[in-house]
Amino acid sequence: MRTERLLIGAGKAFAVVAILFWSLFPILFIAMSSLKPGQDIFAVPPKWLFMPTLKHYTELWRSWGVFFDGLLNSLMITVGATLLAIVASACAGYVYSRNSGRWLGASLLGLIIVRLIPPIVVTLPLFPIVNALGLSDTHLVLILLYATFFVSLGTVLMRTFMDQIPRELDEAASIDGASRMTILRKVIAPLAMPGMLAVAVFVIVFSWNEFLFAFIFTATRAKTAPLVISEMIGSIDGVDWGILFAASTVQLVPVLLFVVFMNRYLVAGLTAGSTKG
Amino acid sequence: MQLQRTARILPLLAPVHLLILSVIVLPSFYVMWLSLNTSSFGQAPSFVGLQNYWRVLSDPAFHSALLNTVILVVVAVHLELAVGLGMALLFASGLPFRRFLLVAVLAPYAVSEVTAVVMWRFLFDPDAGPVTLALRALSLPTLDWSFEPSHAMILIGLLTVWLHLPFTFIIVYAARLAIPAELYEAARIDGATRWQAFRRVTLPLLGPAMVIALLFRYIFAFRLFSEAWLLTKGGPARSTEVVAIYLYQEAFSFNAFGPAAATAWIMVLVSLLLAGAYVFLLRRGGLAHAH
Repeated sequence: MRTERLLIGAGKAFAVVAILFWSLFPILFIAMSSLKPGQDIFAVPPKWLFMPTLKHYTELWRSWGVFFDGLLNSLMITVGATLLAIVASACAGYVYSRNSGRWLGASLLGLIIVRLIPPIVVTLPLFPIVNALGLSDTHLVLILLYATFFVSLGTVLMRTFMDQIPRELDEAASIDGASRMTILRKVIAPLAMPGMLAVAVFVIVFSWNEFLFAFIFTATRAKTAPLVISEMIGSIDGVDWGILFAASTVQLVPVLLFVVFMNRYLVAGLTAGSTKG
Repeated sequence: MQLQRTARILPLLAPVHLLILSVIVLPSFYVMWLSLNTSSFGQAPSFVGLQNYWRVLSDPAFHSALLNTVILVVVAVHLELAVGLGMALLFASGLPFRRFLLVAVLAPYAVSEVTAVVMWRFLFDPDAGPVTLALRALSLPTLDWSFEPSHAMILIGLLTVWLHLPFTFIIVYAARLAIPAELYEAARIDGATRWQAFRRVTLPLLGPAMVIALLFRYIFAFRLFSEAWLLTKGGPARSTEVVAIYLYQEAFSFNAFGPAAATAWIMVLVSLLLAGAYVFLLRRGGLAHAH
């Protein structure tokens, strides 16, 4: 009995170490390597102790100014897409939560199914249309695309969270003479905050990291940070790993911290979003 | 009354439906029309029926792309589910620092495909990558992913599993937490062994959640583009192309919009087929335990 318990404990400890290693080692390794002096990055065997240096970061700043423009573009696009997705999903989610009917049920199901169409499919027709409208290489086109691919999930999430807000609150406010928009803004929105945060987590992580749409629809002005990093990977004169690690770390850290602090909402969103139609 | 209600809720529904309609639905129908025509930029389209579909379906490059995609979907997604299930059971069995461990497991969810490719390219760098060095030190075979297509596919598979394990894990873990502890107590009182409790209690109750996780991951792995594109650009010699890369190449490198559109609709149909299975399960109410 004693040995069995010991064995189980050892097995668990081993499994936990393996999980931590699998999840965190790649992240920690590039963050650490971004601080290594150039010759230590390729040291064989890898050096675990070294004099940390910010050289790669200053070099990134000097020779890849376009990366920081990319970060700014990513930030603007992420904020825009998130606000649009939250407002649109909250309005629709409210309707789906407070009303029912055959058409409404069918349209919600339709929203979910449409979301499962591969994004690359819509790039074909949108590419000439976006060009014709003069929207190519603008922030707006990515904001619209990113928001669209998350409003279905957003609507389902908002409905799930708003279902938990008692209807009596709407009724009381409406008896007091509040209009529908006022009720939504002053009564429902504050109480549905956890739902909005859950939606925000998904849109922010997606918009900050997205590659395919940015690759197809932007060239210079609205180029996002992931796109600039992909250009660094493919630059002709060989990869400068130090600078690449520094850029990857700068791109990764804000969203990683965000996910760490918002993990509760991520989990709530994933579990509510995947099973409640 | 009915009309009044419609007029009241329509403005609130409009933003979501307008976005979906103009960005996804109408373009998808336009792609269907494109797929039945021969066209490329600046060229008047002419109707050719299903010819584009025949061209794509008989193209050896498409066959290899489809095969690569199916292998990735089947191997990577099931591997991911197995690992995710194992992790969910481990977490549910009681761990110290559970909150911290959960955050650690979720971390890859924050990583972009581009950054993940940077990481894994370096980890498996043929000359100096730490994983390559470790494998060599243990005299194990290393991954020659820049020359050997099958090795490149292994790396793409590892990368996708790494990026999406948080999703699979959370779905299964949430379902496991929803199983009442009394069921296990009852099983224990009845003299069930751990294995029997797993077979008779855990697996059947986790089934629906695992099916959901699988269907979602099939759909998302089937459209995989960025990881493969950033790692190999589909090369060497188109050997690591997946269906989405095939589509991209046809459309944007070879300017063949008709075949690209046909490929797109093949992707849509497969995705909708999988989505249909999901909706069927959802409607049948077989997912009562999956919340």
